[in-house]
Amino acid sequence: MIDSYYKFQQHLEREGIMFSFVGPVSHNVVEGVGTVLRNKMELEEVSMNVSLKVFSIFIEQIQNVIRYSADRIPQDNFESDISFGMLIVGEKNKQYFLIGGNRVTSEQKERLNDFLDKLATMNKDELKQFYKERRKAQPDEHSKGAGLGFIEMARKSSEPIKYNFEKIDNESYYFTIETVV
Amino acid sequence: MTKLHIKATKSSPEILLDPTTHQHTLKGESYPENSLEFYREFFDWIDAYIDTLEDTQEVIFNIELIYFNSSSSKVLMDLFDIFDDACEEGKSIAVNWIYNEDNDAILEYGEEFAEDYENLKFNFVVI
Repeated sequence: MIDSYYKFQQHLEREGIMFSFVGPVSHNVVEGVGTVLRNKMELEEVSMNVSLKVFSIFIEQIQNVIRYSADRIPQDNFESDISFGMLIVGEKNKQYFLIGGNRVTSEQKERLNDFLDKLATMNKDELKQFYKERRKAQPDEHSKGAGLGFIEMARKSSEPIKYNFEKIDNESYYFTIETVV
Repeated sequence: MTKLHIKATKSSPEILLDPTTHQHTLKGESYPENSLEFYREFFDWIDAYIDTLEDTQEVIFNIELIYFNSSSSKVLMDLFDIFDDACEEGKSIAVNWIYNEDNDAILEYGEEFAEDYENLKFNFVVI
């Protein structure tokens, strides 16, 4: 095992991955990694617009893992829960890509799939209107935020967002989402 | 009423609410762990302030955010809803939406808010 990690890192580098995380995510990780990511882009003189787009998708994606992941250790309020998931940020062909992954229940999968299918049919203007509409609606107890985070990601992404559900067992799926800037 | 001053953190803005100058400020970044909880004290203050506000008093609310997440966008909407209603009842409140010239997203989101309100005035200030 010990002799395989260098290959592992080389593999990540070849794929353009500059950051990858699998494990328990809490707000400290959000703040810490978010700051490093922004500092790195600042050093590389990435424009403020691009770096804030990447940062914005990063925040929505990681806060979604915290809110939606079915693997979680509950705390006093749900946003302080320790949730398990995956987050990858990389750069390839002058584009940034962000990938998020976490386990969801079958029930969550149905709702999420319908919602993301709906987003996929919308252009930027329709996404803007839908964002405003959902912002006005009181969030329901399941979504914990009216899906605003996903709409925000779709608005910031320069290509339609990709998503996938892989069946784990009868009760759960592994949900993956990819956004590009 | 007394001033409310909350210092900025990495993920939450500086809040400065001043009932004597009637110039209020929200400045920095906003993606707190729990936005409802973080902004509770802020909204309690705003509600009490609006109740005691004279119609003739001019109020300026400076919003100088570099980044805010989707939950904070909901918080801003709730704030502007309160201001818009107060303006309709005769209060004089204006929002200064302060943005960096290289930050298109913030300008765009400010303009999107401005187009949704009839009574509340938005001034766009570039820095």
